[in-house]
Amino acid sequence: MAYHSGYGAHGSKHRTRAAPDSPPLFDDTSGGYSSQPGGYPAPGADVAFSVNHLLGDPVANMAMAYGSSIASQGKDIVHKELHRFVSVNKLKYFFAVDTAYVAKKLGLLVFPYTHQDWKMQYSHDVPLPPRNDLNAPDLYIPTMAFITYVLLAGTALGIQKRFSPEVLGLCASTALVWMVMEVLALLLGLYLATVRSELSTFHLLAYSGYKYVGMILSVITGLLFGSDGYYVALAWTSSALMYFIVRSLRTAALGPDSMGGPAPRQRLQLYLTLGAAAFQPLIIYWLTFHLVR
Amino acid sequence: MSNLGEYEMDFYQSNYIIDQQEQSYHDSNAYGNLYGSRQTQATEQHQPSSSVPPEMFLPASYAGQPFQPASNLDYYPHSSSDDGFDEEPPLLEELGINFDHIWQKTLTVLNPMKPADGSIMNETDLTGPILFCVALGATLLMAGKAQFGYVYGMSAIGCLLLHTLLNLMSSAGVSYGCVASVLGYCLLPMVILSSCAIFFSLQGTLGTASVLLIITWCSLSASKIFISALSMEGQQLLVAYPCALFYGLFALLTIF
Repeated sequence: MAYHSGYGAHGSKHRTRAAPDSPPLFDDTSGGYSSQPGGYPAPGADVAFSVNHLLGDPVANMAMAYGSSIASQGKDIVHKELHRFVSVNKLKYFFAVDTAYVAKKLGLLVFPYTHQDWKMQYSHDVPLPPRNDLNAPDLYIPTMAFITYVLLAGTALGIQKRFSPEVLGLCASTALVWMVMEVLALLLGLYLATVRSELSTFHLLAYSGYKYVGMILSVITGLLFGSDGYYVALAWTSSALMYFIVRSLRTAALGPDSMGGPAPRQRLQLYLTLGAAAFQPLIIYWLTFHLVR
Repeated sequence: MSNLGEYEMDFYQSNYIIDQQEQSYHDSNAYGNLYGSRQTQATEQHQPSSSVPPEMFLPASYAGQPFQPASNLDYYPHSSSDDGFDEEPPLLEELGINFDHIWQKTLTVLNPMKPADGSIMNETDLTGPILFCVALGATLLMAGKAQFGYVYGMSAIGCLLLHTLLNLMSSAGVSYGCVASVLGYCLLPMVILSSCAIFFSLQGTLGTASVLLIITWCSLSASKIFISALSMEGQQLLVAYPCALFYGLFALLTIF
C-alpha cells in the first residue's frame, strides 16, 4: 500500500511537529507524555522512532523495560545453574599456570624418567596451584592439546586431500566423546573400589587429557618422517605417558597426609591406575592411525 | 479516490511544516477516509471529512502509524519529534560506527612490535571485526570456497572459548564483547593471506612458511593487546597459543 512506502520519508517529516497538547477528544495516559520532550532518550528515539511509533509509547517503554529485566534475570539463572555444577573457583585453580610451569610439564610428559619427587605439595592441607608446584595437575595443557590435536587432524587430512570443515567437527566430537567415556569409566572404577581419594573429576579430566600431548607428537612425527617415525614416536610417548600416569596417580591419590588406607584398597587403586595407564596407548593409536596413513 | 490521494501524498515532499492543529485535523481526516469504519474514533472526527479536498492532505498525515489505528496518532506523544529534521545526528554517529577509531585500531593491529596501551580496547566495537569477517568470507569465496557459515560459526565459538579461558586464567574478568573485538581486529592479516591464496596455492613450502608467519603475526598482536588490557604478567605465550590455535582454524580454511 502506498502509505507503507511513504512511511519512512514521512516519518522524518512527522518529527518536525512540535509536541501537541493533549487532544481533548481522547483521554488516556499518553497525554502525560505530550509535553515531555525528554521523555525519550533522543538518539535512541531517532534511531528507533519507528519502533516507538509502532508500539505506542508508554506500553512500549514498559515492555522494553520488562523485556530487559527478564533477560538479565535469565542470565542470572543461567549463571546460578552453571555455578551449581561447576565451581568456578575450583576450576580457576587448574588454570593458574605460567609459562615456566607449562614448559617444564611438557618436558616431564615427554621424559618423566629422571624426575625424582612426584609428591604434590600442600600448604595447610590445600594443594598448591600449578604455578608453584610442578606435580600439580592443570587443565590448560590438556585443553590446548585437545584443540591442537583437532587442528593437526585437520591438517593431516588436508594433506591427504580429505579435508572439509565438517571433518574438524567430526574429529573434535569423536575425541571429546572418548575423553568423556574414559573419565566416566575412571570415576566408576573409583566409586566401585570405594577409594577415598583427593581426586576430583577435574583431576581425572586433567590426567586423561595429558595423552593428547603424546598424540600430537606422534602425529607430527608421522607427518614429517612417515609411518615408521609415527610408530617410533607412538611407542616412546606411550611408555612415557604410562610411567607418568602411574607415578602421578599413585602419589596424587594419597592426599596431604600420605596415608593410603588399608592394603586391599591400595591394591585396588593400583590396579585401577595400571588399567588406566594401559588404556592410554590404545586410545592414542585409535585416534591417530588414520591420520598418518 | 482515496488511494490516488495516498499516492499523491507520498510524493509530496514539500511543505511539511504546517500548523499543528491543522495537521492533526488532517491526520484524522486522512485516516477517516481510509478507515471509514473506525468506530473507536470519536464521531466528531468524521464530520469534516467530506469537506476537505484531497490536495490538502499532506505527507505528514501518513507519518508514523501504518500498523496502528489512526486514533492513536493524535494522542501519540510527539515529544520525540522535538528534534528538527536537520538536527538529527548523522546515521553513522547514531549507529556508533566511527571510521576513524576503526582505522586507528587497525593500524595498531598491523604493527605487532609496537607496544599497545591497555585503554585501546575499552570501547568494544564490533563493526571492524564483522567487516573483517565479511572480507575473509569474500576472499574465500573468490578462491572458490563458499564458507561464510564456517567463518562466522568458528569465530563465534572460538571467541566464546577464549573468553572462558581468559576469565579463568586472569584475576580481572574480561567481557565477551572485548574478546570478540580484539580477535576480530587481529583477523586482518588472515584476510591478507586469504587474498593471496586466490592467486597461488599455499600448499608448498613457501605457502606453509607464510601461513605460519601470518598466524604468528595475528596471535602476537592479539596476545599483546590482551596482556596489556588484563595485566597478566608472565603469560604472554600462554595467551598467544590459544589465539594461534584460533587463527590456525581460519588458516586451515584458507589453505585446504
